[in-house]
Amino acid sequence: MNGRREEEVGLLVVGGGPAGLVAAELAARHGLTVLLVDERATFGGQIYRQPGPGFVVRDPRRVGRDYWAGVALVEAARGAGVELRARTAVLSLRGTTAVCLTEGDEHVTLLRARRVLVAPGASDRPVPFPGWTLPGVVTAGGAQALVKASRVAPGTRVAFAGSGPLALAFPAQLRHLGVNVVLALEAGPAPRAPTVARLVVAGWGNAALLRDALTYRARLLGARVPLRYGRIVVRAEGEDRVEAVVHAAADADWRAIPDSEERLEVDTLCVGYGFVPSTELLRLAGCQFGYDENLGGLVVEVDAWQRTNVEGVLAAGDGTGVRGALVAMAQARLAALGAAADLGAVSRARAARLARPVRRQLAAKERFRRALLPLYAVGPGIYELATPETVVCRCEEVTLARLEEAMEATVDTDALKSYTRAGMGLCQGRSCQPQIGAVLARRTGAASEAGSLLDGANEARRPVPRLSGGQLAALAGTTPRPPVRPAAIGVLADDTVPDRGLFVGG
Amino acid sequence: MDERASAESGTCVDAAREPGAGVLLPRRSDLSGEVPTDTDVVIVGGGLAGCALAYFLATQGVELAVLERAELNREASGTNAGSFHFQIAIHQLTGAGADADRDRLLADVRLLVRAAAMWRDLERELRADLGVHVTGGLMVAETPEQLQILVTKQRIERDGGLDTEVLTGAELRNFAPYLAEDLAGASYCATEGYANPLLAAPAFAARAFEAGAAVRTYAPVERIEQLEDAGAARFAVHHARGKVRAHRVVNAAGAWAHELARGNGFELPLRAEGLHMNVTEPRDRLLVPLIQHIGRRLTLKQSSNGTFIVGGGWPARAEPWPARPSVRWSSVAGNAAVARRVVPALADVRVIHTWAGVWAASKDLLPVVGESARVPGYFTCVVPTGFTLGPLMASLLAGQMTGTSATLPSEYSPDRAPTLARGGARQGGPS
Repeated sequence: MNGRREEEVGLLVVGGGPAGLVAAELAARHGLTVLLVDERATFGGQIYRQPGPGFVVRDPRRVGRDYWAGVALVEAARGAGVELRARTAVLSLRGTTAVCLTEGDEHVTLLRARRVLVAPGASDRPVPFPGWTLPGVVTAGGAQALVKASRVAPGTRVAFAGSGPLALAFPAQLRHLGVNVVLALEAGPAPRAPTVARLVVAGWGNAALLRDALTYRARLLGARVPLRYGRIVVRAEGEDRVEAVVHAAADADWRAIPDSEERLEVDTLCVGYGFVPSTELLRLAGCQFGYDENLGGLVVEVDAWQRTNVEGVLAAGDGTGVRGALVAMAQARLAALGAAADLGAVSRARAARLARPVRRQLAAKERFRRALLPLYAVGPGIYELATPETVVCRCEEVTLARLEEAMEATVDTDALKSYTRAGMGLCQGRSCQPQIGAVLARRTGAASEAGSLLDGANEARRPVPRLSGGQLAALAGTTPRPPVRPAAIGVLADDTVPDRGLFVGG
Repeated sequence: MDERASAESGTCVDAAREPGAGVLLPRRSDLSGEVPTDTDVVIVGGGLAGCALAYFLATQGVELAVLERAELNREASGTNAGSFHFQIAIHQLTGAGADADRDRLLADVRLLVRAAAMWRDLERELRADLGVHVTGGLMVAETPEQLQILVTKQRIERDGGLDTEVLTGAELRNFAPYLAEDLAGASYCATEGYANPLLAAPAFAARAFEAGAAVRTYAPVERIEQLEDAGAARFAVHHARGKVRAHRVVNAAGAWAHELARGNGFELPLRAEGLHMNVTEPRDRLLVPLIQHIGRRLTLKQSSNGTFIVGGGWPARAEPWPARPSVRWSSVAGNAAVARRVVPALADVRVIHTWAGVWAASKDLLPVVGESARVPGYFTCVVPTGFTLGPLMASLLAGQMTGTSATLPSEYSPDRAPTLARGGARQGGPS
C-alpha cells in the first residue's frame, strides 16, 4: 500500500522542548486541537531531555531538577489534551501544510493545520579549528545529550572550552556526575565588580539564573577544576583521537594572543561556544530573517505575537534566537495566546490582558541578556581558528584552503557549493555554513552591510539587522530544500501521484 | 571511489595546470573586469550555451563579450543532473509511432552521435576535469507496448550510427540484476554517461577568456537597441554597467530568452519550466549505467561518490528570479515512486536533498539555434535538454557565424511558429 495519510489539526507545534510544550498546553487550554511532534524519542528538548527508552528512573534524587521540570511540562501538556507524537520529523513545510514522517511508518502524513508553531530549538555552534574532527572532540550539546539520555560519561580526562552565561553549567554537571574534568576554559573575561553590580541590577527578577550561574562556578571551583577566563581553544592534537588540547589567551575579539599557548593532555574535549537556532524549517517556509551573532546568527523575524511574515506560521524559543528556556517559554505563551486569538478561541482583549505579565517578564529577561553581553558577546575570532588544512565541511571533506581557492572564482554561496561540494553532504551544511558564511562575509564586506555581523562589541543598543535576500544567502547558505531530514525513497514514494509519462532531459 | 571521482571534488582556479589535471574555473577578478564598449559579438547569458559559444568563437579569433546577469552556470546549465541521453527518448516520438517519424529521428540520432563524440573528447580539448564518465545507459520498458517502442527505436538508432541493443528476460536480469524483475525489457547504449554540470560551463568560460573573450558576470542586459546607421555596429546592448556596441548579438539567455527577444519585437518558441531533482545519501556501488524509462518520468544514476541522482522531468513551481523554483512535494513523491518501481533496492535509500532548476522548454523540444530573419545579426542559442546537446549546438552555431560550416537546419530556426508541435506524446509538456 502506498500513498499518504492526511490529517487536520488546529495548531501543529513542531518541537517538544520547553517552548513547544508550554505553547501546546496553553493553546489546548484555550480550546484548540493541538498536535505536538518531535523527532526525538522523548520530549523535553535539550534542557529538559528525558532519559531514552529503556531507562527507568529508580532514584529520583539523582536525575536532577531539569528532569522533573521536563516531566511536569510533558504531563501538563498531556493533561490539557495535547496529542504528543514522538519520533516524528517534519520533512517539509509550505504555508501551514506540513509533511511529517513518524519513524517506522511506511508513508508520510500530510498535516493541514490552521496554525503552525515552529519551536525547533538550537544546536551547538559549529566551530572549526585544527583537530575538531578528531574522535574525542565533542560538542557540549552532544555530550550533554549522551549524559542525559544514556547516562554515559564522555571520557576520563575531559577538558571543556566554550563561552556563555550557562556554559559552565555543562562541566559542572559532568563534575557532579563524577566525570574527571581537568580544565574549563571560558573565552569571555572574568566577571569584574562593575559588571556584576550591573548584572545584579539588571538581573532583578532573574535571581534563579544568577543563582544557577554562581552555583556552577562554585561547584567547579569547589571540585578544584581549573577554571580559566579569557582563554580559547586553538587546536586539538592527536593521531587517531584527541590526545591533547592547545589553548591560548584570547583578546576582546576572541583572537588568540601570540605566545600564550598552553598544552594539556586530555582524552576528551567538549566544545560549547554557544548555540545556533535551527532554521531549516523556517527558511523552507519562506520566513524573513535577521542576523545577530549573539543570538546564534540567523534570527527569524516575529511580531508581538511571535508570528512570522508567512501567514499562519509562528515561531518561538531558541529557534528564534538563543535566549534560554525561560524566554522560550514566555515566547511560547505569547504564541499560544496569539494563535488562539487569531482563530477566535479567545478574544483579542483577553489575549492582550493575559499577555501583559508575560511581556513584562520578557522585557526583564532582555535587559538581563543585554547586561551580560560584555561578558559573553561572541568574538569574530571564533571563526578564524581554522587553518588552510582544516576540514570545514566534514561530510564532503572540504578544507578551508579549497574553499578559499574557490572564492577566487565566486563569492556566491550556491556557486561555491557547486564548485567545492561543501554543504552537499548528509548534514546539508548545518556544520559548515556558519564558518563559510563568516569567511565569505570577511571577503565581501557583507559583514559591514549586515550591521557588523560578527562584531558583538556595540551590539547592545542595536536592533537585529534585517537582511536582504543576497545577504541572507551569503550568511544562511544555499536555497533551503525539502526534505529537512533524510527520508527513504520507499517512504516518500506515492504511487497515486499521476505520472503523465513525459520524459525530459535531466 | 575512482581517481576521477576524487578529482571531481577537487577545485583549483589554476589555468596553467596540466590537461585534465583539475577543475578549471574562471577568476572572479577577471569576470568583474570592465565591459568593452565595442565588439563584434555580444552573447547574452553565461550558461553552457553562452560559455561554449564564446569558446568556439574566441578560439576562431572572433572578438566578443559574454554578459551574464549573475553567476555563470547558475540556472538550467548548472542545475540539471549532467546526464548524456543519446538514445531516442519518448519526447522525440509522436503518437504515430517511431516508424512514422523515421527520417526526422534518423537526423536526431546522427546529431546525438556527434554530441557523444564531442563529450568524449571535451576534457582533452578544454584541458580540464569535467567529471565525464562513460557508464552506458539503460532505457527500461514496463509493458509489451513500451518494449515494442524500444525495438523500433533501436532499429532507427542502428541505422543512424548509434550502437544500442534491446535486452529482455534472463539476459537483462544478468546484465542488470538491480532492475525490477517484472520489467518487460530495456535498451542499452554503451556510450551514454554523464559529466559534472557544475564544471562544464565554467571550464568553457575560462578557456574562452584565455582566447580573448570578455566574459563578464553581474552585467545584466537591460535591452538590445537596434541601430539604424552606425557603420559596422548594428546593436547597442545596454547593460547595468554601461553600453556595448556590437555587430552581432546572441541571445543565450536560456529560460529567459523569450523575454529578452520580446524587447526586440519577436516571440521565441520557448518558455521557462521548473525541473525537479533528488539526491540520496551515498551507498556502496549498486549500479553503473544511467537508467531512464521509455514511458515514465525517470532518470537515475549512481554518481561517482555513491549518491543516487534521481530526476526525469518532474515539475517544480516557478518563482520570480532570482529565487529558484520551489519544490512540489508531489514531485518528490511521484519521482520516488517510479524510481522504486524500476530499482526496488532504492526503497531504503534516503533522500537527503532535493533541488529544482529551470529549463528552457520549446514545445517541440528542439533547439532554438540560428539567426533570425526578422532581425539580421540577431542570433539565438537555446537548447532544451541542453546539457547533452548544448556544446554541439554552440559549435555548430559558431561554425555558421564564422562561415566555416554549413548552416543550421531550418527546423531549429528561432523564427519557427511558437505553437509548432511535433506530435502527440509531447503535447502540453511538463507543467
